[in-house]
Amino acid sequence: MGEADNCSKIFGQAALEHIDALYGYAMTLTRDQTEAEDLVQETYLRAVRAFGQLVPNSNLKSWLFVIMRNAWLNQIRHTRSGPRFVELGSDEENPAHWAEDFANNPHILYLRKLEREEIREAVESLPALHREIVVLRDIEGFSYQEIASMLGCPAGTVMSRLGRARGKLRGMLAGWQTTKAARAV
Amino acid sequence: MNGCDDIRARLYLYLDNELQGSERSTFEMHLHNCRACRLLVENEQLFLDAIRRSQPLRAASPELRARVEQLVTDRQVIVRAPPRLKRRIRESLWQLSSKRPRTISGWQTVAVAAMAILILPVVIWRITRYGDDSRLRRPSNFAVMAADTHLRHARGQLPLEVVSDTPWQISHWFADKVKFSVKLPNYQESSGQEKLYELEGARLVGYKDDYAAYVAYEMRNRPISLVITSDAAAQPSGGEEIKARGLIFHYDMIHGLKVITWSDRGLTYALVSDLDERGQQSCVVCHQGTKDQDFIESLKPR
Repeated sequence: MGEADNCSKIFGQAALEHIDALYGYAMTLTRDQTEAEDLVQETYLRAVRAFGQLVPNSNLKSWLFVIMRNAWLNQIRHTRSGPRFVELGSDEENPAHWAEDFANNPHILYLRKLEREEIREAVESLPALHREIVVLRDIEGFSYQEIASMLGCPAGTVMSRLGRARGKLRGMLAGWQTTKAARAV
Repeated sequence: MNGCDDIRARLYLYLDNELQGSERSTFEMHLHNCRACRLLVENEQLFLDAIRRSQPLRAASPELRARVEQLVTDRQVIVRAPPRLKRRIRESLWQLSSKRPRTISGWQTVAVAAMAILILPVVIWRITRYGDDSRLRRPSNFAVMAADTHLRHARGQLPLEVVSDTPWQISHWFADKVKFSVKLPNYQESSGQEKLYELEGARLVGYKDDYAAYVAYEMRNRPISLVITSDAAAQPSGGEEIKARGLIFHYDMIHGLKVITWSDRGLTYALVSDLDERGQQSCVVCHQGTKDQDFIESLKPR
């Protein structure tokens, strides 16, 4: 196997680790399952073509997110006048993600599932800009600077937008304290 | 940073790991001594942990996973330089060598030639511009400090101590804090022209055992920083010298940022931005009038 093939394989494996995160972000941007899947595929296609440009030791996940965002912006620029917002379907999550918890304690699993559903619902009902910033920071864990680079705005704007988004999220999750108390039992 | 209000204002910076060094330790020291703030931080941490636990927000379907897996594993990925680049590199090698180059193939050719092409302009540039007086052309410590401060603020690591979009309020805030007088002009108000920038606020920054004034602006979503100290504390030097309006401006590129420093009437200024060319457009924070356009133009690269 040649060096290029080896690099390609390593890159492929590393990139695939982020598929769920990318799909979640694609859903945040598109709010449509089919479009999100197409966007994920387009992102990987672009990444595979461009992975030679990836600077060594740079953040692969952040690079993939930037590719996805650019692909999405490109798409809406060409096909629509602006993003379309539709209601989300009630697709079930992959049960594999619950397996580990389930093996430990079914009661905790149930409470965590309730909490996750509640939080997911609240995040998805945030306005687009706030939804995106919460997903990038609180769910995917990017730093202010990484988010600022992705969104093309100063880190100060990220900070203030995040503060407002979290305030809204807190308001929506007023019942979260109860869940937290139950979890602590 | 001592009061509970300060702690609450920086709560998310702390939880998001964006507070560093002494600011972080001061924050933690306060938490150690203040139960109310500690509870607040713990509660917010629990809230953020719960949000984080909802990761992944969505899981890719097995079908999508399979499609993408096939895409990344099956595709033959060989990074090739475009033919035009290869031709240019070959031509450059011909010019560099008096003899026809010996046959070297593929990546070796590309790598060697690319290195030569990349390094050559840098070497020529350094020889022609920095030749004998490289020490003189090095950016001043004040310019470097201004660029660092700009970066730290842009990263959210250096919160403003006063937030206001009113120049006189900022000037007033500095009145009893620095040893020199800071008077921010309000050209937009006096000229009645459209406002091209936003004043965000200010804070003090340490420089040479004293304080310098830091003022943050934003223009079209891009941050601009103005750092002011007395000319006794800092003298502009280094970089490229540009004479305009009887003053000497020093232009440097530091950490990819455009830094313009100059002295005028007992004060030394540094203006930092990532705006185009030399970042001269950042001068509008003090020179927005139409009569000042000539001055801003004079700072453009020739």
